[in-house]
Amino acid sequence: MLRAGLSVKTLWQLMEMKTKTCLKVHGRMADLQHAMGAFRWMSSVRPAPVLTAAPVRALIDEQISIKGRFLPPNSPITLCSRMHSEDGDLWEAFAHYNTDASGSFSLTSDRSVGGSYTGCEPMGLFWGLHPPPGSREGLRLRKRNVETPYTVHVSLLEGHISPSGGPITELAAVTTERSYMAPGVRRIDIRQNGIVGTLFLPPGPGPFPAMLDMWGMGGGLNEYRSALCASRGYASLSLAYFEHKDLPGPLRELNVGNEYFKSAFRLLQDHPQIVAERVGIVGLSFGVYLTLNLATQPGINPSCLICINGPMGRSHFLPGDKGEVKYWNYDERGYIAFRQISLPSNMAPEYKVKMEKINCPLMYIIGEDDLSSASTENADQIEEELRAAGKSHLFTRLSYPGAGHLIEPPYAPNARVTMWRIKPEKMVALFGGYDAPHAAAQEDAWRKILCFLESNLRG
Amino acid sequence: MSSQAAVFLGCSRSGVGCLVPSTWMDRRKCCVQLSVHPSRGLIDEKFNVQVQKFLPGCQLTVHALHRCEDRNSWEAFGHYMTDASGTVNVSQDTSVGGTYSGVEAMGLLWSLRPVPGSKPGLRLRKKNVQTPMEVTISVYQGHQTEGFVDQVPLASVLVERWYMAPGVRRIPVTEDGLTATLFLPAGPGPFPGVLDLWGAGGQLVEYRAALLASHGFASLALDYLTCKITMETGKMVDNQYFETAYRVLQQHPQVLSSRMAMLGFSFGTSFTFKMAVYSQVIKLRCAVCIGGSHVQPIDASVKEMFTYFNNNASKIRVNEKNEVIWRDVFQPTADPSIKVDMGRLQCPLLLVVGEDDQNWPASEAAKDMKEMMERAGNSHLLTILSYPKTGHLIEPPYTPHVRASIFRIFDTHQKLMLLWGGQTVEHSRAQEDAWKKILVFLRENLYGAANPSATLSSHL
Repeated sequence: MLRAGLSVKTLWQLMEMKTKTCLKVHGRMADLQHAMGAFRWMSSVRPAPVLTAAPVRALIDEQISIKGRFLPPNSPITLCSRMHSEDGDLWEAFAHYNTDASGSFSLTSDRSVGGSYTGCEPMGLFWGLHPPPGSREGLRLRKRNVETPYTVHVSLLEGHISPSGGPITELAAVTTERSYMAPGVRRIDIRQNGIVGTLFLPPGPGPFPAMLDMWGMGGGLNEYRSALCASRGYASLSLAYFEHKDLPGPLRELNVGNEYFKSAFRLLQDHPQIVAERVGIVGLSFGVYLTLNLATQPGINPSCLICINGPMGRSHFLPGDKGEVKYWNYDERGYIAFRQISLPSNMAPEYKVKMEKINCPLMYIIGEDDLSSASTENADQIEEELRAAGKSHLFTRLSYPGAGHLIEPPYAPNARVTMWRIKPEKMVALFGGYDAPHAAAQEDAWRKILCFLESNLRG
Repeated sequence: MSSQAAVFLGCSRSGVGCLVPSTWMDRRKCCVQLSVHPSRGLIDEKFNVQVQKFLPGCQLTVHALHRCEDRNSWEAFGHYMTDASGTVNVSQDTSVGGTYSGVEAMGLLWSLRPVPGSKPGLRLRKKNVQTPMEVTISVYQGHQTEGFVDQVPLASVLVERWYMAPGVRRIPVTEDGLTATLFLPAGPGPFPGVLDLWGAGGQLVEYRAALLASHGFASLALDYLTCKITMETGKMVDNQYFETAYRVLQQHPQVLSSRMAMLGFSFGTSFTFKMAVYSQVIKLRCAVCIGGSHVQPIDASVKEMFTYFNNNASKIRVNEKNEVIWRDVFQPTADPSIKVDMGRLQCPLLLVVGEDDQNWPASEAAKDMKEMMERAGNSHLLTILSYPKTGHLIEPPYTPHVRASIFRIFDTHQKLMLLWGGQTVEHSRAQEDAWKKILVFLRENLYGAANPSATLSSHL
């Protein structure tokens, strides 16, 4: 059977090859007949290529196994993934593979020989997604609406080609859906006691352990990590604290203090479906400072803390504030690395968290190529202070070479560079990290985070 | 024992259970983990249900609850014992009681039955295929058999079961007077086409066509009894209606015109046999017929088929439970004028037969067709899948089996309790096996060689 992708020329070439081989080896008419007959049979029984993905509807942190069958043996193929973000931007990735002797391939065992990634990377078509050349700069892929999945279209193409945003001729395709919310997870808007956040509850009667979830000075309300925690059985509250329209005071300022964060923690503890003694806190970037600060407040006893790439103190200014300009480093493109400001030596002493007051296990996760936060130095400082207090057994460090600032749930593309602000003027921030090591870091860190949560919140 | 109140778990007649303080139980509850993978799967996909972090050597009930579109509740459950690590793995462990027993990975679905107190004669069918079937899987302490709704489970998760894979497109078709729905697979195509026919219940039943599209076949579900034309004019469709449906499917730009099949069930098999053998328009690569018969007056229209049915109404029996048995109506006899001449069939045919089919004489018809084809010399085209203790309603895998259910006559709206037959365990195995083989058969014939059973000739 001839499929659209397989040219008649290719078939004739294959036929000639078989003929030549047979003539050389046997040199007899009967054998030639047999060879021709066999070839004709093969070409007419071979079905169209089939591309499969399993599971085709997956959670964000689940590996999807992509396989192809019924292709010509030992032949070049390209896999191309494409999706549109919520803002309408195209993101795509592609990889070059060769089918094996049976005309099959499997991304869980085969190696990419070119494209957005190389080597054996089962999820490379997802973490390797990038806007094609010519797109707006500094784009970052983040899901705002966690109640709908990411729809990623994966195509199988003939040969080793580079799609680059243009039209492609598919041999086969499969559509995958990747969700942050498992079926039955409940999303609840929280606007009470002055708290602005979103609570995610796992399905079932509970009661559940819980996590308070905080992000950095990008502001707003990022729900996706909380949603995924709930999908893994932990109730989670993503908390807004900066640049959210429902928070009091001017948008560009931090208008909430210790009482705000304590209320949020207590909201979780008081929830009828949450076990009050099993509430932890996770923070990324400036969220680390908030996590550590909250954990040392009187009356607040979290079960565990997760700190990702952030400071254990702060300056008098807020990160990103013009007052900090002297600490910023610019690269040749005018992109800003915020890193310096978060060095412990640049922190105001009254704003450094007293680590000796920490009483629960603390996991600190470092991206060694983090250009936005002095993560290693902060981890060192935290570890030193805990050791001095006789609490080094509480500390776990995960350190990932080549990973950047945004260590997020697995298979999310890394944003080495991101549009930080458009108004009053355009600022592009450097977050660091290189695709492959950053992806490996996210996958490994998430697995370890889930184990850490399991031992501390469910043990 | 301490002064704390104790909770006796898993009290059963055999006295096996675990005795734990209730405060410990509360803390323990947040540790129990119930997981189902995949949590979003296709209707014919297997899932893996696991309970972890409970106490070792304890009785647990794993329960499934589904509230269907007509608001009835269906449930299934299995009785398990946790192992030394406090785990139950439904795919590997033995259920010692409940609605299914033994090692049954999918028992929680295929043994679903209406909850106590439900109306009799219910059947589970999905009308809206664009939303998933939602099943709540829960785990309860002990070996429970009833009153689940009044108890709080230890843990509970929600599972989605989809007829449509992502990217499958659903397209209502009304051209040329048809009442049909086309399902196109994801991807560039073009795809082989399958015309999908259900039985005498009428309506536009979409779920099997949707599932076929999820497996790479452009499928057209066709309503030929309660279609717009019939509802508006009162006249039943003629045989051209089926040819029109075939043509519309075949001419779709994303359908491979030379790779077409028909899949008929029950009354739908009558038209499948007829078209496959006699139609000048319909040229099939292959055909699948489930639970049907080739017995019909030659070239009968839909109306004439019903007339034949009514003329043979004396053959209808009723059993002691007032369940109606139709199987004798379309029994084959020696009279060739009321049979499709299967000797003239030119494409591979797969017959799926439930040996306990009480609605159609599928077994006898299959036997008769085999004899006809052996005499005519085309029996190499025939494959018969025959399943013991299997009834009439051979549906996609894990569809709950019902031995009898209320059937509404499509035109008079009269209701009967029809006996379908089958024993649940064997019937469920048959559904799973048959579907797998139907997909292989369709793939081989529609994606594969032009004529796989033709002998290879010398090309030089």
